[in-house]
Amino acid sequence: MRYIILIFLLFFNFSYVNADAIYNLIKIPNLEVHKVDNLNGIKYLVSKRGFVIGDTNNIKCNGINNSDLDLEFNTIQNNLRDYNSNFLRKINLKFVVLCKNLEISGINTGGIPDNKFRTLILDLKFNRKYFERMIHHEIFHMIDNSFPELFKKNKWSELNNKDFSYASCSTCTDLLGLDLEITKGFLTEYSMSTAEEDMAEIYSLLKTNFKEIDLLIRKDNILTKKKKFLINGLKEIDEKFIF
Amino acid sequence: MIKEIKPSLSEKILFIFLILLIILTLGSFYILNNKCLFVKKIDLNKIDFKDKQNIAIMEVECGNVLIELDPKIAPKAVNRFKKLINRGSYNGSTFYRVIENTLIQAGDIEYGNISNLNYSKVGTGKSGLGTIKSELSGNFLFNAGSVAFARKDQFNTEDSEFFITLIDIPIYQGEYTPIGRVIAGMDSLKKIKVGNKSTYVLKPDYIKNLKLLVN
Repeated sequence: MRYIILIFLLFFNFSYVNADAIYNLIKIPNLEVHKVDNLNGIKYLVSKRGFVIGDTNNIKCNGINNSDLDLEFNTIQNNLRDYNSNFLRKINLKFVVLCKNLEISGINTGGIPDNKFRTLILDLKFNRKYFERMIHHEIFHMIDNSFPELFKKNKWSELNNKDFSYASCSTCTDLLGLDLEITKGFLTEYSMSTAEEDMAEIYSLLKTNFKEIDLLIRKDNILTKKKKFLINGLKEIDEKFIF
Repeated sequence: MIKEIKPSLSEKILFIFLILLIILTLGSFYILNNKCLFVKKIDLNKIDFKDKQNIAIMEVECGNVLIELDPKIAPKAVNRFKKLINRGSYNGSTFYRVIENTLIQAGDIEYGNISNLNYSKVGTGKSGLGTIKSELSGNFLFNAGSVAFARKDQFNTEDSEFFITLIDIPIYQGEYTPIGRVIAGMDSLKKIKVGNKSTYVLKPDYIKNLKLLVN
């Protein structure tokens, strides 16, 4: 009898259907609406039961409770208020999904942008120290994904010293440090992983701490060129763009 | 001489109990098998239509459903919907996709008709008229009874499939092309057959007839 009950419980726990109104829209199951009446049109959705998605079920995230949400929601909301609805529409961002312990192919990550479904998944339990930066870092990936012609990786790579080359992917290297650590042309160790991560790092640092970072950038001619490169691209998307 | 045996009180009670049990069983069986029993029928003569040109009448198993189309919000979509109605394309179209107490979807003309339902392809069929551009509205509220064209993951892929919301789904605002609203017959829609473990329904309910009030 005990086994029958166990099988019964397992069946009900793991056989839930991806059948809800929000799944229809962004193909992530078991989400609930948290806040939709935002001036810039962002719709905040939360996962209370967690989810597994991706073609190979490689993206996993755990559910959050109200206390997790209370702690971080305002931070997320305040940072996303920097972006107006027109800009968000251009970069294909409308839905922000909040969950915790987000991972892709077994590697923890702070956020996953999905331009196709205009969705950004954010890990509420991501390291507090880098949390705000991470939000803008992921937003830059959405910008880059939407306008790859404005942020050409080969052009960007040419700004570096000739003897430098990026890794073939951001997880193919041990260069994962996120602390501010200026090396010729780079702001963090993670910047050295790939061109897109380098761009996202500079963008997110400028977005969260413009004054200090801008001063540091001005002292480095490569970083100065990189900043200009980013601003040129961003101005193409929104001529009023400011960090 | 045979002596008459009178039933005792307890035997009488047991007999009455058995009779009641049989009545209850048969009654329950009848109620369970008749999902439309408590669905209120619509009397078209009692409804004062403001815009008869834009009323569609959809007949489903439990009765009629009246849809008021809104060409002001989505003129091309309503035009397409009317065109398909006039062709009779929706007659027999199955509600192959049902999210319990949330929404129902029909309108796959190619693979979703009850007469030749193709379970492996339903949801991918085409009308033959091509896709139309999304006509999104920030003003149309997706309350219960909203009728809208379904689309693929991308915009501008609307063709013939449509869905009706059974509850308010505010997040759909500005996401789907609205066609109109159900003005009567929601009870009939709530009785549409739901899939057991899937959004795709086996032996689904279907639209018996879909026509315009005025052609």
